This record gives sequence, structure tokens and C-alpha cells, in this order.
Amino acid sequence: MKPGLLALAAVSLSFAAAAQQAPVPGWQQGRPESQAASPLAPNAPKLTVTPVDQLPVGRLTLPAGFKAEVHAHGMPGARMMAVGANGTLFVGTRTIGRVYAVTMEGGQQKVRTIASGLTQPNGIAFRDGALYVVAINKVLRFDGIEGKLDAPGTPVDLTAAFALPPEEHHGWKFMTFGPDGKLYMQVGAPCNICLVDENRHALLLRYNPDGTGREVVARGVRNSVGMAHHPVTGQLWFTNNGRDWAGEDEPEDTLGVVQKVGEHFGFPFCHMGSMQDPEMKGRECSEFSAPALRLGPHTAALGMRFYTGDMFPAEYKNSMFIARHGSWNRTQRSGYDVVRVSLDAQGKATMHPFLGGLLDGNAFLGRPTDVQQLPDGSLLVSDEQMGAIYRISYAR
Amino acid sequence: MRRAVLAAAVLAAACAGLPAGPARAAGDAAQGKALAAERNCATCHGAAGVSATPNIPSLAGQPEDFITLQMILFRERLRDAPPMPDMAQGLEDPQIEALAAHYAGLAPGHAADRAPRDEARYQAGAALSEKLRCGICHLPDYRGRAQIPRITGQREEYLAQSLTQYRDGKRHGSDTNMNAVVYGVPDADLAALAHYLAQQ
Repeated sequence: MKPGLLALAAVSLSFAAAAQQAPVPGWQQGRPESQAASPLAPNAPKLTVTPVDQLPVGRLTLPAGFKAEVHAHGMPGARMMAVGANGTLFVGTRTIGRVYAVTMEGGQQKVRTIASGLTQPNGIAFRDGALYVVAINKVLRFDGIEGKLDAPGTPVDLTAAFALPPEEHHGWKFMTFGPDGKLYMQVGAPCNICLVDENRHALLLRYNPDGTGREVVARGVRNSVGMAHHPVTGQLWFTNNGRDWAGEDEPEDTLGVVQKVGEHFGFPFCHMGSMQDPEMKGRECSEFSAPALRLGPHTAALGMRFYTGDMFPAEYKNSMFIARHGSWNRTQRSGYDVVRVSLDAQGKATMHPFLGGLLDGNAFLGRPTDVQQLPDGSLLVSDEQMGAIYRISYAR
Repeated sequence: MRRAVLAAAVLAAACAGLPAGPARAAGDAAQGKALAAERNCATCHGAAGVSATPNIPSLAGQPEDFITLQMILFRERLRDAPPMPDMAQGLEDPQIEALAAHYAGLAPGHAADRAPRDEARYQAGAALSEKLRCGICHLPDYRGRAQIPRITGQREEYLAQSLTQYRDGKRHGSDTNMNAVVYGVPDADLAALAHYLAQQ
């Protein structure tokens, strides 16, 4: 952990009711003394290849007419996805530090590792032939990447221009291009619950692709690891992970929409638009923007995209798919699925189950992390735990 | 009220055991044994996985997931502990899982050159372990679980070295928990903690 984070954590803790002297692990921070013996802790990652016959694709449940198959596998830690102009699928990771590229060659999906040794290169985006990769301590651009997958060469290092904070906790990024050509990403809160500098943490940001022109799009967003622009309105929608250690059933993760640039969604004082934080006092929920929808307690709603294809039934058009990675801070596991959120004519959001079957009692079989539409209208779902990507298609 | 309910639920979960993650195929221990022989792991880590070499850890009885994770971090050059990053190059995932299964299946033991117990340092280490709650993640008998290592009976100077590296930000696990746990702990306290754990 970086000294900066520790200093910040120490400052935050001095505001908290708990009389903590020593810094605590980020995930543990905010845990009341009464739960000091809790066995709940983040799920361990799996960093080795899972053989294809051990993938849970046969267990997946979907609405009638949909089917799931293994699209690509053998990519430990596969998380966020981006598709290149020539059809290459790029995949980011966290702990294992790699970026993968998946291409169809001779009727088979071929997986290459095109970058490695990075610190949590979760955020990836593709534009004008270039792959953008954002790790905690680096922003890299691989120009003309699809023409040199076997030897990507040295990327352009944009780290200094973006000047992102170095904190590891909630420091991994989600990244996407907006219709305005800008790069959108988040900077999460460097803690579970703490006071933050409102110009530095718990933000949604946008930049020019070269790292200039930094602008705060939203404040008070604890950690968003999924955002997408509405294909018609152009508004930015985003998932947000709620705080831990404040209850089995609250606060819930949320889906938000930015109505006005710079608006504040309440962290750390108010969660999901209605729940005052038990420790962080001084500002009221009424001062902040409320989310559009609640996405369940501790579900870890991460990657989200709008569906714009023609393969799925008409009512799917312009609705959102959201990967819920699954809980750790809850005795009964929640999430571990993909949901669909539709918007009615008034813009009211409704959640529908989509992909399930990954919970077996209270054990999990996989962890959906991101969704990505292919040009044919099918939908990819990444499974970080199994290092695999499933393809969901529909036939009447 | 809310917290009381959660605390009760958490206690119930603790008594029932942790919710399980996905089933994992155990590595092939026999293949791991052959590979360990081929790669001369015993030269440093000991013939039975109990190290007689200063600053080299014992591997016998370590959780499989812990060994696998560390080997992957070595191979990906995300953990720097020469010569391991070089030695891990070219190992395929099933080979790493086989090595992990082999060492996880060996009986843990103490180094033959273990120093006698120093009661004052032992007691200081015990108090520190209580304060830092080492037994929550490493389990009360410190045998470890999943990606969290066995620390009971490990070589004392290796434990001290590891704790110092975590404190100084020179080593990370799959997260930064250990860095935070020992942040700012003085050398003498880390040495006492290492002594206490080595003497288990």
C-alpha cells in the first residue's frame, strides 16, 4: 500500500467514530469492532487456466430462445472487454497483470497475451486502430495493434498526461469512449468508507484521448467499474458499488445516470439516494442526486453496456446488460449473474434476470465481470474466476 | 439492531464454515514430485519441503492455492525474490498446480537449526499476533487456508524478512492486506512476531 493512501486512510479514520490507530486493509476498513472476528473477506482469485471441460457453461440459465457457448477460454483473470475494428477481442485483468487478445484463426479462437507485468490493467478501450490500456500506475496506447498482435512493441506511455492517483484500493479502472470522442473512466474511493477529496477520488472523469482536458463528470461515486452512454440520448449511465460492513441487505449497489456534469451522488455521506451513512455525518441525502435503480446488496455490479443489436428480441434494444460479479461481504451470496435493465418511455428503469445458474447453494461456479456486444448482435460475458468468455445468442 | 442481526448471521456463518468457492481440480502431486526433483527444488527448500537454508521458506504443508498464487506471481514477474522469477519461467499452469499439490501434501516440520525459545520474545510476539489478529486470516493455529500461507513453524528469519518486505511495500500478495496489517510496526516487534510463529 502506498504511503499516500495510508496517510489518507489515517486522516479518514480520524473522522470516523471507530478509534482505530493503525491503518487497516482497504476492504476491512469501516468494519465495526463487533465484527472483528467475521470470516467474511474478499474471494481469492484463480490465476491458473481452467480446462474447458470444467467451465460451468452447461449450468448457465437464460430466457427461452437464448443459448450460451464457450467463446474463448484459457485466459486467467479475464475481465473487461473491448472489440477492435477488425474484430479482435481485447481483455483486461487485475491480479495477473495481463492484457489478452482473442482472434478467430482457422475456425478457432486464438488467445495471445499482448501485455504482462502490469499493475491491474483492468481498463481497456479501442479507438482509431489503437488499444488504450489503463493500469493503476500506467496509461498506455498501442497504436495499430491489430496489425501486430504477435509483436506489439513498445506502447506510447500516456501516464504523465493522465496523472491518475497512485492508490491501489479501488484504483483499477473501467474505461470507455463516449460519443464525444473522450475517454471516460472512474477514480474510486481509496477505502471502504472515508472522507475523500472531492476533486481527486470517488469520481467519474473524462479526458481527451491524449490525457489532456481532465474534467469531473460526477462526484460522490464510490467506485464505478462499468459505464456506458445511452445509444439515443447520449447520457452516461454507470454502475456503482455500495459500501461494505453496514448490513447484509444495505446499502445496495446502484445504477445511475448523469443528468448534469459535475453532479454529486452522495458518497461518503449518503448511499443509494436514501441511506445516511452510519459514520459519515454532516450532509443529508436530500443534497445529492439519487440513483436510477438499485441493483441488490453487495452484488458487485460491474461491467455494463447498452444492447444495440438486432439478434435479440425487439424489447432488448437499447436496454442495458449488467454483469454482477458477486458478493463477499454477505453471508448469503448475492449477484453472480447478468441482469438486463430496460427503460420505459418516461425513462424509468426496471431490472430483469438474464443469465443465472452460477450459484450452487452458497458456493459460486463463476464470476461474470463484463459484457460486450459483438457485431452479429450476440453478447459476450467474461468470467474472471474461470478465465473464460461465454457467447450468448438467440434464435426464434 | 441491523448490526446485531448481521453479527449474529456472521457468527452463524463462522460456525458453519465459510461458503465455498468453485470446486478446483487438485494438481497432480506425483507429477509435481517428479518436477520438483527435475528442477532441484530440494537444494534450497529441503528434501521433504522443510528448508534448512536461511531465508528460504519451508513449503511442506502450505495450502495449494498459496503455492500456486506465488508461483504465478513469480512467473509473471510480479513478485521479485531471486532466483524464483527466473526459475518459474516456462512453467505451464498445470505444472505449477502439480508442484503446489506435491508440496501441500508433504508433512510440515520445523527446521533442524531452529533456535531455542526466548520466552520474553515469544510472549511479545504472542501479544502482537493477538493485536494484529493474525489468526483470523491464517486461522487460529496459523496453518493458513486457500491463498493465505501456513506461517506456523516457518523459518524465523524468513518470516522476519517477509514481514519487513510487506511493511516496506516491497512485497504484495493478491491484494495489499499484509502491507496494511504490518504498516509502521518496528523491526523489533516484527522479529518477536517471527520468533513466536517459528516456535509454534
